[in-house]
Amino acid sequence: MGLREYISDISEAVVTIAKGMRITWKYGVDPKEETTIFYPEERMVMPERTRGFLFNDVARCIVCNMCVKQCPIDCITLESIKGADKKNVLTSYKIDMGRCMHCGLCVEICPPKSLVHTDGYEGSSHTREELIVEFVEDDLATIKARIAAHAAELAKAAKAAEAAGKAPAAPANPAGGEKK
Amino acid sequence: MEPVAATVYPNYDSVGRAILEAFPIIDFLPVWLVALVIMVVVAACAIVFILVFEGVGSLVLRKLAGDIQSRVGPNRVGPYGCIQFLADGVKLILKEDLKPAACDRVLFRLAPYLAFVGSCAGLVVIPFAVGMIAADLDIGIYYVMAVSSLVSIGILLGGWASNNKWSLVGAMRGAAQIVSFEIPVAMSIIPVILVAGSLSTQEIVRSQGGLFGIFNWNLFHNPFLFFSFFVYLTAAQAETCQTPFDLPECESELVQGFMTEYSGIRFGYFFLGEFGELFVVCALATAGYLGGWHIPFLDAGNLGWFWGNLLSLGVFLTKTFTLVLVSMWLRWTLPRTRVDQLMRMCWKYLVPLTFFNLLGVSLWLLIFDGKGIPAMIAALFG
Ligand code: SF4
Ligand code: SF4
Repeated sequence: MGLREYISDISEAVVTIAKGMRITWKYGVDPKEETTIFYPEERMVMPERTRGFLFNDVARCIVCNMCVKQCPIDCITLESIKGADKKNVLTSYKIDMGRCMHCGLCVEICPPKSLVHTDGYEGSSHTREELIVEFVEDDLATIKARIAAHAAELAKAAKAAEAAGKAPAAPANPAGGEKK
Repeated sequence: MEPVAATVYPNYDSVGRAILEAFPIIDFLPVWLVALVIMVVVAACAIVFILVFEGVGSLVLRKLAGDIQSRVGPNRVGPYGCIQFLADGVKLILKEDLKPAACDRVLFRLAPYLAFVGSCAGLVVIPFAVGMIAADLDIGIYYVMAVSSLVSIGILLGGWASNNKWSLVGAMRGAAQIVSFEIPVAMSIIPVILVAGSLSTQEIVRSQGGLFGIFNWNLFHNPFLFFSFFVYLTAAQAETCQTPFDLPECESELVQGFMTEYSGIRFGYFFLGEFGELFVVCALATAGYLGGWHIPFLDAGNLGWFWGNLLSLGVFLTKTFTLVLVSMWLRWTLPRTRVDQLMRMCWKYLVPLTFFNLLGVSLWLLIFDGKGIPAMIAALFG
């Protein structure tokens, strides 16, 4: 190591330290540089496409079971019974938020787009069971009662249609035939 | 200035005798007992001072880190987090004091106190003000150098006694680093001793009076001393194991180095020791290079006992805290060096430079008859 190298080493050290200290000084004296968001008091506005917690609008869900099949880690479970109009009615729709990895596959596949990501991200709980979220609010008895009422309504409507004559009922048959 | 300063020296025996004369009720007490009580009071003042400094210093350190890293720093305890350090202190005291099962119990307990005592014993010879110094030792500077090596023993003991490989590696590094850097630190403060012609810290400060209390600082005495000041700051940063050189405790590779196994108040003692050392080296730099307690444009010795001491204490602390802030600023600027880089810096750069400086200062003093540049300029103007 020659003398010139030695001295240039020293001057380089001095210059780089001065450079670094100038940068930290700039940040140190400028309070506007602070980027901290005081979380519990203020919250970040989440971006539009945030994949937060899932939410299923059960009124729009057609119980197609696609989300259950799609989920790579099987965290969605649903139960349903036959409704009055032969459509399935949800009795339970559970997502295990503790296992969900927010991949968004279930949301993409959902035909009526009833299953969506919200921008929620605060989901701490004391037990793991609390993380299994149930989206159907009513219990089984209420749902059965509602189906029975619906069935009665449908029967009444059918009777009324019969009483009114066979003409209005006629177009219903080809439609049914097409389905088969 | 000599006579004024001489009368306000705390010579414990004479103060004890004066107190006995002033209060005849306690006349029956022996002088040594009263002197001892005064000593204990002075020591308590120093300890309380260093504890407060440590508390506030740790808060400032974290706030500064926050500012520099575009964060906020502690902000929950008290307005702007200003009593965070009390919460930290309470936490440290209340925390469980863990001891590893296979540690060396005696040494493990002894180590934090050695580190703490080693760093805070330097306070004895810090000239806080015109007449405020715990003991104006004739060998002041050497005393600081000597007691501060207790820290390396504390670190080595702590690391060894923890029976942990991280601790041991950290302790070895710490001992090597502190012992190595003691040389440049000592060698870069020796020019000051040469200029003052005394080892006593109070004497060194007094030699920098006059010329408006600024221009006679050793910093401006001659180019070699100016350079020496920065060498001292660099070496002191390394000797106190501050961040660019905090190899004994670098988190990324050694968890906490020699402090890995320590918790609770024992960890607190190491922490206190670190801050105490920071204060001592900065105070020494102030006393040696920045004119100590000399008040700019005023003569502290002529202001009367109360105002002279108060103002000069304020000036001394301001200068010291500025240096502490610079040290913290440096701490949040530079990344950590490697061990080999650190040792190379010490032995290949700092040590030769300090010797070169010493030679330069000696020659300067010989050629210019002990006069500094400002003094010569002042002589030109009459
Ligand atoms: S987001 Fe992914 S992991 Fe979560 S429920 Fe939907 S498919 Fe399953
Ligand atoms: S994919 Fe959509 S519509 Fe189908 S069951 Fe799931 S949530 Fe309901």
